[in-house]
Amino acid sequence: MSMKPFQFSIDLPVLNHWRNVDLLLTSVQSCFVAIFSDVDGCNAIAMVTGELVENAVKYGYWSGDDKHFRLRINGRHGSVVVQVENPVDPANPQLHKLEATLRWIDEFPSAEAAYRAKLLEIASQPGMSSGLGLVRCAYEGSSTLRAELIEANALRVVAEMTFWPPARS
Amino acid sequence: MDNFVAGDLTLAFNAARTDAIELTWLGRSNDRNPDKLLNPYWQITLAEAAQRTLPIELHFQKLQHFNSSTITVIIQFIQEARRRAARLVVVYDQAIKWQKLSFDAMRVFVTDELFQLRSV
Repeated sequence: MSMKPFQFSIDLPVLNHWRNVDLLLTSVQSCFVAIFSDVDGCNAIAMVTGELVENAVKYGYWSGDDKHFRLRINGRHGSVVVQVENPVDPANPQLHKLEATLRWIDEFPSAEAAYRAKLLEIASQPGMSSGLGLVRCAYEGSSTLRAELIEANALRVVAEMTFWPPARS
Repeated sequence: MDNFVAGDLTLAFNAARTDAIELTWLGRSNDRNPDKLLNPYWQITLAEAAQRTLPIELHFQKLQHFNSSTITVIIQFIQEARRRAARLVVVYDQAIKWQKLSFDAMRVFVTDELFQLRSV
């Protein structure tokens, strides 16, 4: 069997149970530790996965029959793309908040500056829904984020992460 | 004071320390609403610190993971401690990249002697 080195793909339908957030996070972490030697990078992929999955469980439209969201993680040549798709209610104001948060991050010269600004915002406005998870993905996960509506009733959030060269044994 | 235990998270109280209220975070902080779990314990911690006139030390070096909701709770605790004039020290492991990134950013809250960040 011939294999292309350092290309990988995870594609899972996942039930919207909160306990699955940490199950996926730790599973993804274990998978990537098995591929790469860079534990810090694996932690970052797992963290980004966890934050995106948390948002899907929290803000997805779960009144219909389908209680699943979809997690896809693809990688090749030192880059990893984490995608989470979940059903949404197009009228849910969280959609606009998500888009606004992504635009807000882009206004800063760096993800670190955006993250520090978000921490100060949280401190000054306790109790507000913050969007910190997305900003954390950009900063701590070194990821570029985008979101798109699919067929008007599903949301796909994508985090593109660029990493280390593949480990050599 | 007792330890705090909820789900995968433990905050271990070090009763041997007489110079600080030392709480060591262990495990994983992955609850959906960590504020509801932790806020009652924060109140006990702040009351104990005030009664014994001691600083509070939060040690994160052994924590495996926290979610962004937990970061929000920590920020609110920093603010609440400052409001009550309680001294607060946060200790983290700078050799662990996620800890270094998360806690270095919290230097925005180091504005006076009441709050310190210490890396080991």
